[in-house]
Amino acid sequence: MLLAAAAAATLFRVVPLACAGDRLAVAGAGVLRLAEGASCAAIVPGRAIAISLDADNRATPQTLTPDALPAAKIPRAAYLIAPAAERDADQTELVTSTIDVFVPPRTPPGDDIFLSTERSGWSPAEVRMDRVDARHFRLVLKLRQGARVAFRVTRGSFGTIERDENRALPRAHVAKGEPDAHVRIDVAAWADID
Amino acid sequence: MAGLPLGASARATATLDGASVFFFSDTLTLVARGGARFALADGTRASADAAYVDLKTDRVVLAGHARVTRGEASANADAIALEIDADRVDLLDAASGVTRTSRALGPASPAEFDAQRFAFPDVDDRYAFIKSRHATIVPHADVRFSPASFPTSVGGVPVPSYLHSFSTGAGFSSSSLQGATFDQPYGLWGSENALTALHARWESGPGAALGLQQQLVSGDDAYATAAIDAPLRGYPVSGFNAYRRLGSRYTLSVDGSGSKYGASGHVGLGSGFLGLDYFRSTFGSSSFTAALRTRDRPLFGGVTYRLSGNAGFDAQYGGLLGQLPDARRYATVWRHGLDLSIAAPTVHIPLGATLTTTYDVSRTWYSFPHYNDSFSANAAVTRPLTRTVTLFGYYLATWNANVYPNAQALFYPTLNPPLLLPDGTPYFGYAAFSGAGMSRTESGVLQFTPNGNTSYRLTVTHAADFPQFGGFGRPQWEARADVKFRPFPNIGIDVGRAYDFDWGGMRWQPRWSFAITP
Repeated sequence: MLLAAAAAATLFRVVPLACAGDRLAVAGAGVLRLAEGASCAAIVPGRAIAISLDADNRATPQTLTPDALPAAKIPRAAYLIAPAAERDADQTELVTSTIDVFVPPRTPPGDDIFLSTERSGWSPAEVRMDRVDARHFRLVLKLRQGARVAFRVTRGSFGTIERDENRALPRAHVAKGEPDAHVRIDVAAWADID
Repeated sequence: MAGLPLGASARATATLDGASVFFFSDTLTLVARGGARFALADGTRASADAAYVDLKTDRVVLAGHARVTRGEASANADAIALEIDADRVDLLDAASGVTRTSRALGPASPAEFDAQRFAFPDVDDRYAFIKSRHATIVPHADVRFSPASFPTSVGGVPVPSYLHSFSTGAGFSSSSLQGATFDQPYGLWGSENALTALHARWESGPGAALGLQQQLVSGDDAYATAAIDAPLRGYPVSGFNAYRRLGSRYTLSVDGSGSKYGASGHVGLGSGFLGLDYFRSTFGSSSFTAALRTRDRPLFGGVTYRLSGNAGFDAQYGGLLGQLPDARRYATVWRHGLDLSIAAPTVHIPLGATLTTTYDVSRTWYSFPHYNDSFSANAAVTRPLTRTVTLFGYYLATWNANVYPNAQALFYPTLNPPLLLPDGTPYFGYAAFSGAGMSRTESGVLQFTPNGNTSYRLTVTHAADFPQFGGFGRPQWEARADVKFRPFPNIGIDVGRAYDFDWGGMRWQPRWSFAITP
């Protein structure tokens, strides 16, 4: 009966930090009060669940569903102890991050362009980019929300890694796991081409 | 190389244990479940039902029945937030709120509920890169897992210990190993400024190989790398390279390699407008080039040009010009050259296409009566057919001539008997080659990218060169297919194969490339 009632209720995805008595501490959010009849039995700290709120803003644990709203959407009035600012803890969602690379004119026309990232121990030919036109390459990455991928641009080997306008190694670029994130890189020079 | 470390190992600052410790490489997240234990080098110990370590910010959250101790002092809370390299400790009690203390665990005082400090990520353990039971953390450098399994990496073999480095210093992307078709590093020891790694490799030619590489890194400003590459069938090759930024405008680089047959090395000073390079080998050869160049400067309508000049020498014990009877007189030949490069911007042309062109012309003069002329023109056309299908066309042409006034026949003599091709056929047309050659490439590429993870590409290339005939020079026709796809969340595959059509009796000459990417 509880679940049937919850079917029509709004669900919120939360990561419990702790549950004791009628108190449920939620990561990045605050402390909620459990509804009468609800218990901490099925709650595992650090493991995401869904909750529904009754008319008194009391929480009832529910089965997690994909359409559950992030914890940041929980009404502030529901908190017994509210945080200074909410923070969504979801890192399961994949978001799109687009990297556009523009290469200098003297880039050999048929050469492929690659990203080298820390994920592969900086393999110089880790991910081949898709060509947009002769001097423009693009890669659309699916990253987990909150991801931060440091990368450099190469033509497939360390000997062809990007250099800045003074022929020095530039700092690593960063692609972020944020919705519709976009990075534009203008390669000034290559290590092997004056 | 100021600031370079002397050793490759650093003392761990923290450890994390649990029935399961999951690592997510893209978010640099560690999550321990099933009774988490966290320890810091200063003697601080903590435990909880679960723990989260954010390696980007060095923040730790202990959730559920959390307890922290240091010496005789201790504190209990529903959740505890602390930092690996800072003193602050926040205690969350679901009944009374947040209090704050320090690592010494003295009396706690009420504090604001900072959601940022108590964020615990909602992660799906199934997509973890590494599953372990014990993690040893060196902040801003690496994590060692003992043991380590790779649940999302197909073919990933569980190992007793695995070092994952996440330092971003430029030197960590350097390598003094030779190029390889496949290279999988396995970290042995590491710190924020150093990494020692074993490399399992597949090299075109020798095949399977093992490499050992040591990297010493000072941020983005300097590095030194040394490696030995030992094919299972073949001879080992050692290499090194080093780099140092000198102020804001100059860089110094040194590199070299050696094998049982000899060694070669290079030292260079680079900047945006100047390049000095000296090469030397144990084979008796050396060269030096000093180059000055302008930056790309506007010409008109978006067209840019760049002018460069160079001077230097080539040297060889025994003489460079072996065709001469007195070759030993020419052990060192000086040269100087000029190069003009012009680049047009990408412009729209009829039929919805874009056109990009570049031109380059150069001449090099030598101290011996000899000069070299070169002219090249490249054009690239892009025509999007649909949102996901694009057609590319390339035309690349290079004309090159070596001119020896009054001595052309000496350096390009008529061969008698004529040049024989790989299948034994005489190439009479080669007699027409007297130092002036031509290289022309026409290429068409069809690219289909249905999504960010998948790409199909078909390339057909026609090469019309001189000299070129039946197996001599480049193949006239080549077809190549490349496919990039991601069959599993953590595994990307990029594979290609090329065919040359009937070139010197060789039909369907295959060339493979293969890469596994995270």
